[in-house]
Amino acid sequence: MGPLPRTLELFYDVLSPYSWLGFEILCRYQNIWNINLQLRPSLIAGIMKDSGNKPPGLLPRKGQYMANDLKLLRHHLQIPIQLPKDFLSVMLEKGSLSAMRFLTAVNLEHPEMLEKASRELWMRLWSRAAEKAGMSAEQAQGLLEKISTPKVKNQLKETTEAACRYGAFGLPITVAHVDGQTHMLFGSDRMELLAHLLGEKWMGPVPPAVNARL
Amino acid sequence: MGPLPRTLELFYDVLSPYSWLGFEILCRYQNIWNINLQLRPSLIAGIMKDSGSLSAMRFLTAVNLEHPEMLEKASRELWMRLWSRNEDITEPQSILAAAEKAGMSAEQAQGLLEKISTPKVKNQLKETTEAACRYGAFGLPITVAHVDGQTHMLFGSDRMELLAHLLGEKWMGPVPPAVNARL
Repeated sequence: MGPLPRTLELFYDVLSPYSWLGFEILCRYQNIWNINLQLRPSLIAGIMKDSGNKPPGLLPRKGQYMANDLKLLRHHLQIPIQLPKDFLSVMLEKGSLSAMRFLTAVNLEHPEMLEKASRELWMRLWSRAAEKAGMSAEQAQGLLEKISTPKVKNQLKETTEAACRYGAFGLPITVAHVDGQTHMLFGSDRMELLAHLLGEKWMGPVPPAVNARL
Repeated sequence: MGPLPRTLELFYDVLSPYSWLGFEILCRYQNIWNINLQLRPSLIAGIMKDSGSLSAMRFLTAVNLEHPEMLEKASRELWMRLWSRNEDITEPQSILAAAEKAGMSAEQAQGLLEKISTPKVKNQLKETTEAACRYGAFGLPITVAHVDGQTHMLFGSDRMELLAHLLGEKWMGPVPPAVNARL
């Protein structure tokens, strides 16, 4: 038996475009690197409130920069991300509470569906193309009914608080547990550094597909 | 004759630690990639509300005007003072010490230091900082890449792999193997 996989926790919110980028890169590497990727649906609004930070898009030049940055990263990372025209109003007014409670419920009841359900929500919010996550209508309805239960509300709260305790001031954060140490990395652009910490090979954001690790 | 090198402008301030990181990575690649790296000493105070590097950045502006071949080393020595040894960079003696470590003679360094309050140097720093703002900077470092008639502004020291993608060059990590200087 080989060395134990290292645990990576990815704290994310579908309201966060860079969370999508980090998510896709880590999903690509989960069967290449010796890691155990744990997805942690969180609420970015809670992290902003707790840390005193503000969404970068509120600063006009940062908002403009994000629009350009995401256009470039779309091609470089091969993720069909597209900033909606009204993304600020989406972020500030609509928010992501229901969506992240939904994903929390998925994680509690059907964790094997969490990756696809998360991707589907990002696709709806951040891409022109929408696909189906493969959930039956009944399953989805059942989960929607659960999102306001104390169990789900508390779980989302706890996950968000865990991110804050790791030092998060935004999302995504990747928490790597390596050789008894814990490293918190902010952003989707720390994956090469993550590879370095894991002693793994960085093959860029679109590594060649390999057979699933047995 | 091969294709023309692509121009990269790096706007930086020694007060900015990530500027140092971006600077070192690009310096490593300047003889590997087909690029013309232009260093642009700027004032992060002009972009945000920090301060503290005015003299140092005016000094580097003067170096860039009179001895541009010394700019890389002088910049590096100022970062080493502040961000490696936690030493001052605001006092004249501090700046002179960095300049001498960079290989300048005491006379050369002193001469440049005397110029930092001249209108020419003050205006040049102001113009460079304004150029960064026009490119959309909200912080430093920014790397502005001029590729195939397009201009891309990249913020931070962590966009170099994306830069390689835009240039069609190979990314070999932040510490590429040293190669012979491009002829």
